[in-house]
Amino acid sequence: MNEHGSCDKCAHELLPLAKAQGFETVWDRHESQLPQCGFGLLGVCCRQCWKGPCRINPFGDGPDKGVCGADAHTIVARNLIRGIAAGTAAHSEHGRHIVKTLLELAEGHAPDYAVKDEEKLRKVAALLQIATEGKDINEIAREVATATLEDYASQREAEPCRWLEKTVPAARLAKFVELGVAPHNIDATVTDIMGRTHVGTDADPVNLLLAGVRSSLADYTGMYLGTELSDVLFGTPQPVVTKANLGVLKADAVNIAVHGHNPLLSELVCDAALALNDAAVKAGAKEGINIVGVCCTGNEVLMRRGIPLASNYLSQELAILTGAVDAMVVDVQCIMPSLGGLKDCFHTELITTMSTCKIPGASHVEFHTETAGENARKIVALAIDAYKRRDHSRVNIPQHTTTVVGGFSAEAIIGALSKLDAQDPLKPLLDNIVNGNIQGVALIGGCNTTKVTQDLAHTTIAKELAKKNVLVLATGCAAGALAKAGLLTPEATEEYAGETLKAVLTAVGQAAGLPGPLPMVLHMGSCVDNTRAVAVATALANKIGVDLDKLPVVVSAPECMSEKAMAIGTWAVSLGFPTHLGVMPQILGSSLVTNILTEEIKGITGGYFMVETDPQAAAEQLFACIQQRRRGLGI
Amino acid sequence: MEAGENRFIYVDMEKCLGCKSCELACALSHANTDLYTAVLQGKHLQPRTSVVLGGDLVTPMQCRQCENAPCALVCPVGAIYQGDGLIKLKESVCIGCKLCSMVCPFGVIRMKIEVKKLGTRLLKKGKALKCDLCIEKAGRVEETACACIQACPTKAMYLVDLEEHRKRMLETRGKEAAQARTRLGQI
Repeated sequence: MNEHGSCDKCAHELLPLAKAQGFETVWDRHESQLPQCGFGLLGVCCRQCWKGPCRINPFGDGPDKGVCGADAHTIVARNLIRGIAAGTAAHSEHGRHIVKTLLELAEGHAPDYAVKDEEKLRKVAALLQIATEGKDINEIAREVATATLEDYASQREAEPCRWLEKTVPAARLAKFVELGVAPHNIDATVTDIMGRTHVGTDADPVNLLLAGVRSSLADYTGMYLGTELSDVLFGTPQPVVTKANLGVLKADAVNIAVHGHNPLLSELVCDAALALNDAAVKAGAKEGINIVGVCCTGNEVLMRRGIPLASNYLSQELAILTGAVDAMVVDVQCIMPSLGGLKDCFHTELITTMSTCKIPGASHVEFHTETAGENARKIVALAIDAYKRRDHSRVNIPQHTTTVVGGFSAEAIIGALSKLDAQDPLKPLLDNIVNGNIQGVALIGGCNTTKVTQDLAHTTIAKELAKKNVLVLATGCAAGALAKAGLLTPEATEEYAGETLKAVLTAVGQAAGLPGPLPMVLHMGSCVDNTRAVAVATALANKIGVDLDKLPVVVSAPECMSEKAMAIGTWAVSLGFPTHLGVMPQILGSSLVTNILTEEIKGITGGYFMVETDPQAAAEQLFACIQQRRRGLGI
Repeated sequence: MEAGENRFIYVDMEKCLGCKSCELACALSHANTDLYTAVLQGKHLQPRTSVVLGGDLVTPMQCRQCENAPCALVCPVGAIYQGDGLIKLKESVCIGCKLCSMVCPFGVIRMKIEVKKLGTRLLKKGKALKCDLCIEKAGRVEETACACIQACPTKAMYLVDLEEHRKRMLETRGKEAAQARTRLGQI
C-alpha cells in the first residue's frame, strides 16, 4: 500500500486483508517502482532508435541533445504524440469493432445482434445525410455502416472525416481545416504520427504537436461513432437506478464481472446469463447469476441495463480478492495483467475474449461476431463451473454499496429537459445558464492512478463545483469514483449542490416524474462516451450561435493516466475547452511544449491544459475558467 | 568517530544500469527542491556523483572519503578537512583554486561555477563540489538519507561501514574455515 492509497471504503477493508495474506496489489507495485525515473517523468527519454536510449539533462548540466541531435522539445513532443496516437488507435479499434458488427448485422452475418434503437439509427442516418425513405432497417444500417467505415478508409485528404464534420459547430470545423488538423481518415493519423516520429523525420515540436491535435480529433471521431452506433445496436441509455461498489457481489450467486470497454460481448453475456440462470441455481447458487461491471464495460452495461458497478480501474484486483467473483470476463483496455496471477490464488476464472488481448494465466474464449451468443453462453457456463469450485470460507464481500442513478445520454438529458419545454428542450438549460442558476458545466472524466489517492480528487472537485452551482457530468472511471462515493444520487444534490443548481435539478427531476431532484452528477457513460457531453455542448453552442470555446464548459481529468486520456484531453483542448489534469503530464522536460499546451494554444483553439494536483485548488481554477467564459459571453 | 574509517558509497557495478537516477536525485537533494519545481524554474543543478562508462560496466563515481585525502592535504585555505566521519568541504572558505580537483585520484571533485556582476566587473563565485554523504540535509550520515542510494532502482549503491563489512567478511569466512576443519576431523 503506498502513501496515497484510496478513499474507497471497500479498499480500506480489503487492502489490509490482502497484505495479511500476502496478495500483491497495484498499490504495492507502485510502491516498489519508487522512485520513478526523473527522465521519464519529464518526457526527455527517447527510445525511438537503437543508437539510444538518449536522455536530456533537465538541469542544463549534461547532454542537451540526443545522439541524432534531437533536443528536449523534439523528444518531448514526439513522445507525447505517440501516446496520443496509441489512444486514438485504442478508441478507434473499439469504434471499428462496433461499426463492423453493424455492417455484418445488416448483411445477415451477426445473428445474435439486432438494431435495438431504430430511432437512433434514423437519427444517425440523418446526421450523416443518408436518405432513409423507403429503405428497410437493414439497408439503412448497411449504408450508415458503409459511410462510417469511409472515415477509416478515405484517401481524400481535403475532406474531413464525416463524423467530425457533422458533430462540431461549423466555425470549429473551419478552424480545424484552416489549421490543417481536420483528419480525413482515422487510421491515417496514427500512421502519420508513427511515420513522422521515426528517427530523422519531423523534428519541429510545433509541427509534431499539430499532428497530435489531428490524431486527437481522429480519436474524437472514433469515439463519437463508437458511442452512437453502440446506442443503435444496444439502445440509447435512459435514466436507470442501480448500485455501486463491491457490496454488489452476492455470496449466494454466480458472480460474473464484465471488465474492459466494449459492449459487444458484455451485452450478450447479460443475455446469456438470463438464459442460464436456472443452471446456476441448480449448481447451488440460490440467487442465480449476478452480473457486475468493472471499469468501462461496467459503465456500458450500467448505462443500458442498470447492471451494478463493482469497481473502477484501480480496485479491479480487489474484486477478485473478495473470493466471490466466479468469472471475470475481459475485453480490451485497462485490464491489469496482474489479474492473471491473482486469479491463481482464488477459484476465479479469468476469461479473455479478444484476439488482441490475451493474458498469461487466463482462459481464452475467442469472441466472434457471427458466434457471439454461443461464445457468451460458453463464458457463462465456465463461470457456473467455477462457482462449484468456490471456497465459501474464503469469501469476503465488503458490505458497502451506494445507490446510483445513471443512464444520462445526451438524449436522456434532452428528454428530461423537454418535460419543461417540449418545443425547445435546450431553452430551460440555456435560460438557467444565462440567469446564473447554473454557472457552467464541468465534465469530469478519466482514469484512476496510484499517483494520487484513488477517487479523492474526483469526489472533491465534483462536490466543490456542485456547491458553486456548476452542473457536473461524468464519464469513465471518474463516474465510477463518483458512483462509489454516492454522488450520483438525488440525496447528493440535496446535500452538496448549491441552492440554485439544486432548484434547477429539482425542477427537471419533478417534471420528468422523479420523486426528487436529478442526481448531483449526471453519469454519461464510459470513457468512450465523452462525446455524449460534446453533443450537448455543440447543441448549446449551435443554439446561441457561438463556437465551443465561448461556452462556460470545462473538462477535468483528475486521475488521468492512459494514452486514451492523452488523446481525449488533447481533443477537449482542441475543441476549445479549458482542461484540467490532476497528475503531472510527462512533458515538463520541454519548456516549449509545456508553454504551448498551457498557454499559447489558448490563442489558437481557445482551449488549454491546466495542471493542478491539489483538488481543492483545481476546483477553484475550473470555476474561475467558467467565470471568465461567462464574462466573455456578457452573462 | 574519527578513529574509525570514513564511511563511503560503494557500487555493485553488476547491478548498475546507467540510468542516472542517482545523478538527478543528488542534484535535487542538494538544491533542496523537487524535480518539477526545479525544471519549471529552469534551475541549473549539478550532481556530486557522475555515472561513467568503464569498459562494459557502468558506475556512478563519487568521493571515496579517502583516509589520507590528497584534497584535504593540498587545500591552501583549509576548506577540506576530516570531520564527522567523512571528508568535509566548507564552501564558505573554498576559493575555487581547483587544486583538490587536480590531485583527486578519482576525478570526483568538480567545480560549481557562478558568474556574478559587481558593478561593471564580472566575478566568479566558484566552489569545489563533492559528495558529502548528504550529511547537510540529514544532520548525520546514514544510508536512508543518501539521495543517490535511495534513488537507485536496482539497489546497486550502498553506504559502507568498513569495520562492519570487515567483521562480517571475517565471520563468514571464519565460519567456513571452522566448518572445513570440522569436516577434516570427521574423515
